[in-house]
Amino acid sequence: MTSEPRTLALAKRVLDEYAAVRESLPAGVVSAARRQEAIQSLAAQGLPVTREENWRYSNLRPLERARFIPVAAADPMPLPVLPPGGELPARLTGFARHVFIDGTYAPQLSSPLEAPGLTLRNLRSSTAPAHPPRARPASGSPPEARLALLTEAFATDTTSIHVSAAAGEPPRVELVFLAVAAADAGASYPRVQVALDPHTRLVLLERHVGAGGGDSFINSSIELEISRGAQLTHYRLQQAGARATWLDTLAAVLAADARYRLLAIHSGALSARSTSYVRMAGAGAELTFSAAALGDRQQVQDNFALVEHLAPHTRTEQTFRGIASGRARVAFNGKIAVRESAAGTDSRQSLRGLLAGPEAEIDVRPQLEIYTDDVRCSHGATAGKLDESMLFYLLSRGLAPEVAQRLLKWAFLEDVVSRIEIPDLRRQIERDLAGQMADAASLKELL
Amino acid sequence: MLKIDNLHVKVDGKEILKGLTLTVPTGEVHAVMGPNGSGKSTLANVLAGRPGYEVTAGSVRFEGRDLLALAPEERAREGVFLGFQYPVEIPGVNNVYLLKAAVNAVRKHRGLDEVDAFEFLTLVREKMRLMRMEESMLSRGVNEGFSGGEKKRNEILQMLVLEPKLAILDETDSGLDIDALKVVANGVNTLRSPERSLVLVTHYQRLLDYIVPDHVHVLVKGRITRSGDKSLALELERRGYDWVSGEAA
Repeated sequence: MTSEPRTLALAKRVLDEYAAVRESLPAGVVSAARRQEAIQSLAAQGLPVTREENWRYSNLRPLERARFIPVAAADPMPLPVLPPGGELPARLTGFARHVFIDGTYAPQLSSPLEAPGLTLRNLRSSTAPAHPPRARPASGSPPEARLALLTEAFATDTTSIHVSAAAGEPPRVELVFLAVAAADAGASYPRVQVALDPHTRLVLLERHVGAGGGDSFINSSIELEISRGAQLTHYRLQQAGARATWLDTLAAVLAADARYRLLAIHSGALSARSTSYVRMAGAGAELTFSAAALGDRQQVQDNFALVEHLAPHTRTEQTFRGIASGRARVAFNGKIAVRESAAGTDSRQSLRGLLAGPEAEIDVRPQLEIYTDDVRCSHGATAGKLDESMLFYLLSRGLAPEVAQRLLKWAFLEDVVSRIEIPDLRRQIERDLAGQMADAASLKELL
Repeated sequence: MLKIDNLHVKVDGKEILKGLTLTVPTGEVHAVMGPNGSGKSTLANVLAGRPGYEVTAGSVRFEGRDLLALAPEERAREGVFLGFQYPVEIPGVNNVYLLKAAVNAVRKHRGLDEVDAFEFLTLVREKMRLMRMEESMLSRGVNEGFSGGEKKRNEILQMLVLEPKLAILDETDSGLDIDALKVVANGVNTLRSPERSLVLVTHYQRLLDYIVPDHVHVLVKGRITRSGDKSLALELERRGYDWVSGEAA
């Protein structure tokens, strides 16, 4: 049909737009050579299309309308300010905060933190060289991760976090990416690189929020390298604006005995797609990957996760809970690959979707590729409606049907939300989710 | 309090209740006994408004109002309580939250302010001691990981906190050992009062040793075939359900 020429036309447009701005893109963030390499690699692969197996649940139409040129291409950029009515999430105790508006660092809204062993640089404004990731997770990535190349080519800033020593409590860092600009003003490219040296720890909170109600286009990329025995706790909250397009690529590499606790909650954007690619590269590495997604109205919340077990005795525990209301589509496509070199792998996957609207869609899909006999894998995927007997039980105790339904949806997410170890953050998320599940005054009082 | 007249109910197209008539005056405790499949649980569920139960004829009046016209939550707020035979587990919904939400739903319906949090907890703790429940059960999910006996105690706890006008207890004695049965019966007995009615749906006479009914009805094949005082239950125990089953044919 017409999709082939359309794809080509799109790739050409990306190249053209890149050519138009490449001179003004800051070399201190990504070198010109590296940018060129990225854009060419992306053009050669083409932008993703829903005909591809692992993109079929996405809404990729916004790509066709997007203006790929960054909002923040001008150099130097004027100081970004919060738009009228724009609000940042409440601050949490003990967290350094770095705020970006449409891809530009907003120092007046940020509060950096001095912590022993922690180096955090925003590369656009930093003169010191970044800590180079030793193993580039993006190289040799699967095609599902190729939107990271778009960010690499167009990035206007990069937050580089390096933890080189462990002392006492792990440092806590919060990154807030606020999107304000409408899509026709350009895209924003949040970009984060995290490197944990051996036996260090970090708590990272990454928020994507919106203001102004525009149809912002965000393409985010985060690369994480967790060295031997290091521990990263990573919270990701996607609360982009109601009309936004949010595309995201996470690539992580775990060395021996590294521990990565990843917890993501996706509730924002009109069209969201998150790709996670985690390589369990060292023996004994452990991944706990919990995710929840809420879709309402016409929202599309698509998630693809590839966990690749490359080393012996690596463990993965993956939990997904998704709720689709209205006409929303919520998808989690979780692929686990156990290579021949990964004997003794233990992988558990529990994917559950809740259909809360007659026109809603849930797609939960476990995929397994196992190349060794010595593995333990348990996998469950279910999609269903609210449990009628639970609902009747609550009604029989006098609860209004709306409250009962909301309570059950809430309970459904508990498997993920209860894993949030920071009480303040957990309360904040509970409040946000309660608000998300309609005007929930009556539910909030229960919490 | 409760007046059921010629009630016919179908479940999955099959008629289960076939003209059941039963009157429970205010302040009385009535036991409905019957063999398996006689329609006991159907009666309990249809009174609480469970979906899937189709009333094809007859009427149910509660305090003079048409009970069947009310949604399940409205029945609960009017003071009808069903103690479930198989209380469902709801992980993630906290026991005490549900209790509080239930109490507030009733209070709101009556035009009262929300319950004071401190007084509420004091009351709940007192009732829990009566039911010999550990306080830690409050902070768990509704019935989550509870044993059969704990679930039944939790049902009675809810009843004690909600103080319904009419409580229908569906086989609350099933699966209880003798000690738990005594605790449950003791809890139920504290609620007996001249303003309140109780319907005990049960297969066995045993529960009635501890909660002595004013009247006993025998339900066979969807109809009440025999009514009497508590001695009827003893006679049933002695002679078995075969004694009454033949009569309904």
